[in-house]
Amino acid sequence: MDKPVRVYQCDNTAEGILSAVYEAGISGYGHKYIRIEPQVKGEAQNIALFSEYISVESDGKKVESVIDAVRRKISYRAYTYIMRAAISAFADRGDAIYQFAAYGFSMGDKVCSALQIPWVKRIFEIDRAVANETNHMIEFLRFQEVQREPSLLLAVFEPKHQVTALAAEHFADRFPDEWFIIYDKAHGEAAFHNADGRWEMRLLTRQEQSRLETLSEQREDYVDLWKAFFENIAIEERRNGGLQRNLLPLYYRKHMTEFKE
Amino acid sequence: MVFQENATLKQKLEILSDAAKYDVACTSSGVERKGGKGQVGNTAAAGICHSFGADGRCISLLKILFTNECIYNCKYCINRCTNDVPRATFTPEEVCTLTMEFYRRNYIEGLFLSSGIVRSPDYTMELICRTLGDLRGKYHFNGYIHCKAIPGVSPELVEEAGWYADRMSINLELPTEKGLQEMAPNKSRRMILTPMRQIQMGVAESREYLGMKGGNQSAYWYTQKRMGRSLPGAEAAAAQRNRLSCGQGDGDCAGQKMTPGSAVSVGRDRQEEASFVGCGRKGKASSGSCDRQEEASFVGCGRKGRTSSGSCDRQEEASFGRDVTGIQRGLSLPSTSLTQWDKRDTSRGFVPGGQSTQMIVGAAGESDYEIMAVTEALYQRFDLKRVFYSAFINVNQDNDLPALQGQPPLRREHRLYQADFLLRFYGFRAEELLSAEKPFFNTYLDPKCDWALRHLEQFPVEINTADYNTLLRVPGIGEKSARRIVRARRTGSLDYHALKAIGVVLKRAIYFITCNGKMMYHFLKIDEDYITRNLLENDADVMKGFGEKVTYKQLSLFDLS
Ligand code: SF4
Repeated sequence: MDKPVRVYQCDNTAEGILSAVYEAGISGYGHKYIRIEPQVKGEAQNIALFSEYISVESDGKKVESVIDAVRRKISYRAYTYIMRAAISAFADRGDAIYQFAAYGFSMGDKVCSALQIPWVKRIFEIDRAVANETNHMIEFLRFQEVQREPSLLLAVFEPKHQVTALAAEHFADRFPDEWFIIYDKAHGEAAFHNADGRWEMRLLTRQEQSRLETLSEQREDYVDLWKAFFENIAIEERRNGGLQRNLLPLYYRKHMTEFKE
Repeated sequence: MVFQENATLKQKLEILSDAAKYDVACTSSGVERKGGKGQVGNTAAAGICHSFGADGRCISLLKILFTNECIYNCKYCINRCTNDVPRATFTPEEVCTLTMEFYRRNYIEGLFLSSGIVRSPDYTMELICRTLGDLRGKYHFNGYIHCKAIPGVSPELVEEAGWYADRMSINLELPTEKGLQEMAPNKSRRMILTPMRQIQMGVAESREYLGMKGGNQSAYWYTQKRMGRSLPGAEAAAAQRNRLSCGQGDGDCAGQKMTPGSAVSVGRDRQEEASFVGCGRKGKASSGSCDRQEEASFVGCGRKGRTSSGSCDRQEEASFGRDVTGIQRGLSLPSTSLTQWDKRDTSRGFVPGGQSTQMIVGAAGESDYEIMAVTEALYQRFDLKRVFYSAFINVNQDNDLPALQGQPPLRREHRLYQADFLLRFYGFRAEELLSAEKPFFNTYLDPKCDWALRHLEQFPVEINTADYNTLLRVPGIGEKSARRIVRARRTGSLDYHALKAIGVVLKRAIYFITCNGKMMYHFLKIDEDYITRNLLENDADVMKGFGEKVTYKQLSLFDLS
């Protein structure tokens, strides 16, 4: 006997997704019949007949309780997979997290290697995509000194997934005594790091965003020095634009010093 | 020489980065070091690339020469003294400022400082040391530093640099001694191998006292360990232990920082015995590990496999054999100890990221076999982290050098890197890949496919039962996918679908594997011609020709065997 599919609709945020996972989890409704759909603002809803729709409130407590259960009953590794999936931009990330966790609660940590299971394979792919972009951000982010005395460094990036906090952790360890801001233009948030080592992530207001964008349009002397180095270090006889494009996708070049006019 | 009087910083940077670009190594890997208050920077064990140049090469470090006002005359080098090129020299402050300011902006992971030889090797190395000392001491730079050792430099300066640097390298340049003599008349093997040995011993000693300090062993080392073979550098470490314990015997070292330098003379003899004398003379080696190592490296490399008696004379016949064994024996180089424990900041350890070297490919008529044999010997005898290969580019149009038609030998370089990978990660030995009868890699098949096709009797491999090392030898299965196979099959048996999810390159692997006893298609044949034809037709990657599209039909014009 088939029953109607139940669709949990939630905010299109990590918190929204994990809240929906919580609601779906405690419902006891069969895993097969559960979907989790983050609602993207401004996008038309896709209402299917014969489905039940349940709207989920985002709630920090629900998130905590999912995280807690995953860490206790599955493993730390499963927890990192789930958290990274939650900050990704994939529309099916809610389903992937829910189904992965469902397998995990019966299999334990072994679920993390069970790539034969399609949803496990999917969470694994999502995890790779998020980890890759975090690495790209660590590699390709470029700071500019936008103020002196005290010096303030500013970097602008447009990641597809919400990875700024992951990348900021790296830079906080690297530059413990600097004031710096990493501005994620795609998600309208930024990491603010103080010279005393503390830092925080914050959603920005419109005004703050445009202020940062104006600041980032300055051009300092080191830009020319870096471009000079960048151009001289390549070997003409080995020129290979295709290889360069594979390794450094055009998408990321927009905010990179060496590719700016 | 054309001097740039009063060159601006930008002009110097242009000249000295242009002059440094032929050095291959730009990796920032090998050391994991956290940041800290009052310091600028940290390092990541895997290394971080920050950009890719127009040639597609990774840019990780600020790679520059300190000066290109060189007094030597190496034929392959753009900076040789007889060339008419613009010359410049940095000041230590300039190098420090560029490094710090580039680093703060996340352009780079750190500094790669090399240099032409100005006045003398020692004078040059002193300038390098002053720069690095300031960078660490005055500027509190805690990021990555790769520093070149200058051939022929005195040991005090090598040691000083090693306390500042994360990685050091000294380029072998050419695989054979004869080649080096012809191409770089001012340099000799000994001038190169002596500092290389010193760094190796220093690293072993520093590890003995300070632990790994965020550095790691080489991939080659881990692979040998996994396969139960004797480990590279084991002798050096044993020799150090030997020597250090002798030193401890007559001094009271408890609880304080030791100065093992004092033990040198005591330990010297023992050391020679342990690490050099015995090795390379099959049968006479006193310890079991030497024998095994010979098996691992020696037999296949020189002519040894054939002479089998172990007579050194016979080996001399083949000059190439001599080259390899020279490296294997360490040329009975003098052994040294670290002597500056109380003068230097030892918090980072001594060259924690280990050392690397580089060879030029295609300048002196050497074969792939020679290059790989030397590579293997370097990994084993000198505990190198990496050996790099640089396709020869004739920048000088010298009559003694091969004239290049069009591109530098990039495809050959690519094959060498692939083979190097097989040695470091897959447990292959040089002699399995090449031999005196087959001294060059197949241009059209990668070395692993090529090997598999010559060893079809070892296939097909059953995915659900084969061990890790066997899986690694299957074309289309890499390290990651082999690891995932081993893990995934614990939760259930794997089919071709699952293999795809795991990342196995099926179009290459299907000829060599079964899943639960079945091949993917019943019509597949385990036959050399059949597989070769299919691989070349269906899998552009096995040929990886840097954008060249060659079809099988075009290929069959050549002799494929
Ligand atoms: S020593 Fe030789 S390779 Fe080095 S810069 Fe001078 S000429 Fe070039």
